[in-house]
Amino acid sequence: MRQLPPTGRGPARGRTTFRLAAVLTGTALLATACGGGSGDEQTTIRFSWWGNEERAQITNQAVAAFEEANPQITVETESIDFESYFDRLSTSVAAGDEPDVITMGGAYPREYADRGVLLDLAEVSDHLDIGALDEKALSNGRFDGSDYGVPTGVNTFSVIANPAVFEDAGVEPPDDDSWSWQDYADIAEEISAGTPDDTFGSEDPTQPDTLDLYANQRTGQGLYSPQGGIAIEQETVSEWFEMTTALEEAGATPSASMTAELAAQAAPEQTLLGQGRAGMKLAWSNQLAAFREGSGDDLIMLRAPGETTAQGTGMWLQASQLYTISQRSEHPEAAAKLVDFLVNDPRAADFIKSDRGIPANPDIRAHLEGDLTESQEAEFAFVDSMSGLVDGDFVIGPTGSTESVDLLQRTNEAVLFGRKSSEQGAEQFVTDLTEAVS
Amino acid sequence: MSAIGELAALRRTKAERPKPSPAEQGDNKAALVFLAPWFAGLALITVGPITASLYLSFTDYSLLDAPEWTGLDNYIAMAGDPRLFTSLRVTFTYVFVSVPLQLAAALGLALFLDRGLRGLPIYRSVFYLPSLMGASVAVAILWRRIFGNAGLINQILALFGVEGPGWIAHPDYALGTLIVFNVWTFGSPMVIFLAGLRQIPRHLYEASAIDGAGKARQFRSVTIPLLTPIIFFNLVLQTIFAFQAFTQAFVVSGGTGGPIDSTLFYTLYLYEEGFANLHMGYASAMAWLLLVIIAALTAVNFFASKYWVFYDD
Repeated sequence: MRQLPPTGRGPARGRTTFRLAAVLTGTALLATACGGGSGDEQTTIRFSWWGNEERAQITNQAVAAFEEANPQITVETESIDFESYFDRLSTSVAAGDEPDVITMGGAYPREYADRGVLLDLAEVSDHLDIGALDEKALSNGRFDGSDYGVPTGVNTFSVIANPAVFEDAGVEPPDDDSWSWQDYADIAEEISAGTPDDTFGSEDPTQPDTLDLYANQRTGQGLYSPQGGIAIEQETVSEWFEMTTALEEAGATPSASMTAELAAQAAPEQTLLGQGRAGMKLAWSNQLAAFREGSGDDLIMLRAPGETTAQGTGMWLQASQLYTISQRSEHPEAAAKLVDFLVNDPRAADFIKSDRGIPANPDIRAHLEGDLTESQEAEFAFVDSMSGLVDGDFVIGPTGSTESVDLLQRTNEAVLFGRKSSEQGAEQFVTDLTEAVS
Repeated sequence: MSAIGELAALRRTKAERPKPSPAEQGDNKAALVFLAPWFAGLALITVGPITASLYLSFTDYSLLDAPEWTGLDNYIAMAGDPRLFTSLRVTFTYVFVSVPLQLAAALGLALFLDRGLRGLPIYRSVFYLPSLMGASVAVAILWRRIFGNAGLINQILALFGVEGPGWIAHPDYALGTLIVFNVWTFGSPMVIFLAGLRQIPRHLYEASAIDGAGKARQFRSVTIPLLTPIIFFNLVLQTIFAFQAFTQAFVVSGGTGGPIDSTLFYTLYLYEEGFANLHMGYASAMAWLLLVIIAALTAVNFFASKYWVFYDD
C-alpha cells in the first residue's frame, strides 16, 4: 500500500472519551437536522481534514471563497492533527455523525468505501466534474469500477536532500540518475562522519512506502497484489533489514533508540531533516515546503536510489489526498459543489496551491504556474520531471492495510535493537501484514 | 475512623436498625428526588455504554458498519493473541512494581510531613501537585522531553561523563521510566495517609512511651496497625488506577506502546484495536476481561485484608 503522505505516521489516535461525546453530539445534531429545511433555503455542510495551522488557514480562505460563490451554502470546517484524525473519524462514523466532505488518503478510502460509508460520486456527477483530472490520480479513489474519491493533487515519494548538510560534510551530491542503494548508504555514512555527532546522513528509512518502492524495484511488485493480498516477498524484506541494520551500525543513521524516539513524533518539523540535522530522507514531495521551513535550508528533491541500478524502477505518482463524500450526507449536492470548487476552481487553488500535492487538473496547474514560491516551484518541477519516468504500476493497500505503519515500526525496532535477526524480522512482518489484511 | 472502617461498622449495625418512622420515609423520598439526576446520568453515561460493550464483545464490529454477531469468537481469539499477553505482562509489571513503590513513597513523606513542620500546607500542596497533573498530556510530553535521548536527564549525566540510554526510547528502560512517572504522582495517597496519621489518638503514643516503647517500636506497634485501613484503601484504589493507566504510555510512546511493545499497556492495546485497527468488538471483549481481572484482584485484596487490616472500633 502507498501510505499517507502528509506525516507518514501510523493510524491516528485521540481520546476514548471522545466516542461518547461524539455519540451525544451526534444525537443532538440528528435531532436538529430533522427540523432543518430543504430546497432553496440555507444549507450547512461540514468539511474535515488533517494538518497544521497553515493548512487550516489557507483551506478556510478557500472555503470562504466557496461560500462567497455559493451564498446559500454554509461550510463548517474541522481540522485536527493527523495522529488523531482517523480515530476521530471512525468514532464519528460509528455515531452516524461524520462530516459531509471527508479528506482521506492512502488505503483509508478503500477501507471506508468497502464498508459502505462513502458516496458513489456518479450520483452527484451533475455538480462534481472529475473529467478534467489526471486519470492516474483518479484511479486512487476508484474501487470496483466506481469513483469514491477525488484526488486533491499528485505526489511522488522520493528523496529530499539538504545541500547545506552535504556541503558541511564536504560530500558531493549524488547523480540521482544513476545512484544505487549502496551509494545512498555510502553517502549517508560519509555525511555522518563529516558532521557533528547530532547530525546524520539519513534517518532510518524504514516505512511502508520505502519498502513498497524497494520491492517494486526488485520484483516489479510492491507490498500488495492487485487481488488484495500480500505481494512482497520475505526475502526482499530481509535484504532491506540487512541494509538498514548495516546503516545503523556504520553510524549513517541514528542509533536504534533515537530512531524509536523519532518514530513517536512524526510531524515534518520534528524529524531530523526538518531540524536541519540530516542530509537525506525518503519522503513525499508535498512535504518539501514543510521540511524547508523547518530546517531553514533550500532542500532539493532527488530520484530515489536504485531507480536505474535495480531490476526495474519503483517510483510512482499518487494522489496525495482524496476528497470523499459521506453516503449519509443530507446535502450531497452541496458537498459535491464544494469538492468541485476545491479541485477545479482557480479561486480555491489561489489559496491551496500545492499544499495537497500538485493539482490533478491541468488547467489549475497552468493557472498556478505563474505564481509559485521557490519551494513550490521546485516541487512542481520535480513531479513534472518524474511523470515521464515513473512506471505507474500502482496498487492501493486492501482493507486492514492501514495497520502496516504500526506493525512495521514494531518489527523494525525489534530488528534495530537486535532482538530479531533480519530474517526473523522479515518473517514477522510478512506474517503480521498477511493477518492484518485477511 | 477511615471510610472503609465506617463501611465495615455500617454493615455490622445494619441488621439492628429500627424501622424508619414516617418522617424518615419522607426524607428518603426527597433523597431519591435529589439523586434522580445522578441516577439518570448513571443509566445514560455508565450503565448504557457498559451494557452496549457487553453486547459488542460478542460481535465483529468495525465501527464503520453494523456489528455482526459472532458468539464467543472474540474471547477465543484472545487466547491466541500474543500481543494481548504482552500487554498483560506489561500491565501487571507496571501495577505490581509501581503501586507498592508509590505507596511507600507516599507513606514516607506523610510521616515526614506529619512531624509538624512549619509551612506544612505549602509542602503538602507542592507534593500533591504531581498527582493533579500526572494524568495530563502536557506533563507526559514534558516527561518525553526530559527523558529523551538528548533530554535533561542525559544532559546532566553527560556532565559526569556518563552516556545515558534513551530512557523512553529503549525497550529495556521505557517501562521503568513510566513506573517512575507513576511513583512520582504519590500526592493523593500521601494526603490520605496524612489524614490517617492525624486520626491516630495521641494517648496511644503516650501510653506506649510510658511502657518504654521507642520510636521504632511505636511505629511498628501503634502507627502501622492503626494505619492499616488507610493503607488498604490506598492499595485498592491505586491498584485500580494503575490498571487503567493510559495517558502516560499513549503520549510517551506516540500511541504505539513502543519501542517493541515494551510499554503496551492493556488499555493502550485496547484503544489501538478498537479505534485504530477498527476491531471494536474485540476491544469490547478486552474491556470485559480487564473488568474481570480488576474485580478479581480487588476481591483478593478484600479477602486478604481480613488477615492484616485492623479496625479500631
